[in-house]
Amino acid sequence: MLRILMCAITIALTSTALQAADLEAGKKLFANNCAQCHGPKAQGMASFPSLAGRDASYIQSRLETYRAGERVGANSGLMIPNARNLSDEDIANLSGFISQIGK
Amino acid sequence: MMKKSSYIRYVSAVAASSVLLGLPMSLQAQPAQINQTVFMDGLDKPWDIAFLSDGTMFVTEKCKGLSVRLPDGTVNNLLGMGGTEGYSMTADDLFCHGQAGMNGVALDPDFDSNRTVFVYSASRMGDDPATNRVLRLTVSDDFSSVSDRTDIVENIPYKQAPTDHPFGDAGAHNGGRIRFNPGDGFLYVTTGDNHNSSLPQFGDNLGSKVLRIDRDGKAAPMNADALPDGFDARTYTYGHRNVQGIAFHPKSHQPIITEHGPWHTDEVNALVPGGNSGWDPRPNMAGRGDCPDNYCGYEPNQNDGMDPNERRKYMPMTDYETYPDAMKPLWTNNNYSQGISSAAFLEGEQWGDWNGRLVVSFLGIGFGDTPVGQRINVINLVPEGPEIVDNTEMPLSAGPARFRGLVMGPDGSLYVATDEGQIHRFTAE
Repeated sequence: MLRILMCAITIALTSTALQAADLEAGKKLFANNCAQCHGPKAQGMASFPSLAGRDASYIQSRLETYRAGERVGANSGLMIPNARNLSDEDIANLSGFISQIGK
Repeated sequence: MMKKSSYIRYVSAVAASSVLLGLPMSLQAQPAQINQTVFMDGLDKPWDIAFLSDGTMFVTEKCKGLSVRLPDGTVNNLLGMGGTEGYSMTADDLFCHGQAGMNGVALDPDFDSNRTVFVYSASRMGDDPATNRVLRLTVSDDFSSVSDRTDIVENIPYKQAPTDHPFGDAGAHNGGRIRFNPGDGFLYVTTGDNHNSSLPQFGDNLGSKVLRIDRDGKAAPMNADALPDGFDARTYTYGHRNVQGIAFHPKSHQPIITEHGPWHTDEVNALVPGGNSGWDPRPNMAGRGDCPDNYCGYEPNQNDGMDPNERRKYMPMTDYETYPDAMKPLWTNNNYSQGISSAAFLEGEQWGDWNGRLVVSFLGIGFGDTPVGQRINVINLVPEGPEIVDNTEMPLSAGPARFRGLVMGPDGSLYVATDEGQIHRFTAE
């Protein structure tokens, strides 16, 4: 029962985040800051991972981790400075947009 | 035809370059009308291209393998890597990880008679540590299959495990371009330092080198005359960081390479036999202390942005103080590192004043407010020697990309593999 409740809360929170995200703003941020490494369709390029198919909560968590200067993964040195100046709103918009790519 | 707006932007860029170089416009080359179009799409990380004279095009995809596109547009899948399907031959030992995978491709200068193609790929045989290999294969008469695999080089170092560095995953700094020099007929193979400071200045390994070998993988006989004692005789030059581009001067046939820089100073180098490119990222020397995982390549501050000039002073790309005889680079990209990836020479009268010029490509990478710089530079070298007269940029009417591999096509167009999965064609009119 507890597990079902947690899932329901997660879905509700994720849906809320997506509804709150400004997808157009996220698209612009992605094109200007992310696509050159992760690819225009977030498909991943070279040693930069694919983001396609990731849900918004994953992207948000990773960006918040990098923004805090914490290392996770081999390209942390690249992501930390890229995430440092993102606002909560930027992260919500990016997470919302990226999670919609290809859907 | 180039769009008018693109042309205006391009002329402006040339004018700006003139100001930067301090040269009057009258001395600058006049640009040709250049169209950029998408020639192939839907590829998976295409890395390198090789042409036959009739337009038959061999393409490597980093995580899939070697294919050939026939002049009628038919594509045949020839050599697949582990886990692929639909190839005439599949080699389970070939794999991709990070920057490594199936990289360069070259056709034998006598392909019409011997049907031989060469590729550079990461390989893991059984429980042995992975390496990079150069494979020689025979292409069937109808271009539908390959056979007779022979590994002519088996021991080019591959980075086995992640380290605490930017781009620190396994497979990093993997080199991988292979080209035949029309001047001496030998195959040149470019390699990388694997984030391993014990490779560049030591001759007991094939990392951080440019190799010069014959079709069987044997050293060019004259290599040894120019090398320090104890060096592997397949070595042509050493002390490189990560070489992904090589082309040969149209007249002198001198090898010209592109070499990725460490958050600063991408290099274009003109190679001489036995030359040292001066890269030595060892800790506790040249004024440095300890470094993460014994590799100072991104120091003194590998995780934060800082002035590239300050980086250069601490960890030079070419260390003249330690190696006074190191090869002096032709160009250092204004001290930026932006992912310099490949090199070729434009050929044909259709290029106008650009006929014979060196083109070098950039993947684009920004760090700590440095510009990303996705582009192709067009560099005018003096006719008989490695000296730069002029340096401008190719107009990008279809936009920038992560430009990975440059090669001239037999139709006189420049073909470019992009990490986005396309082959672009630049045609001059």
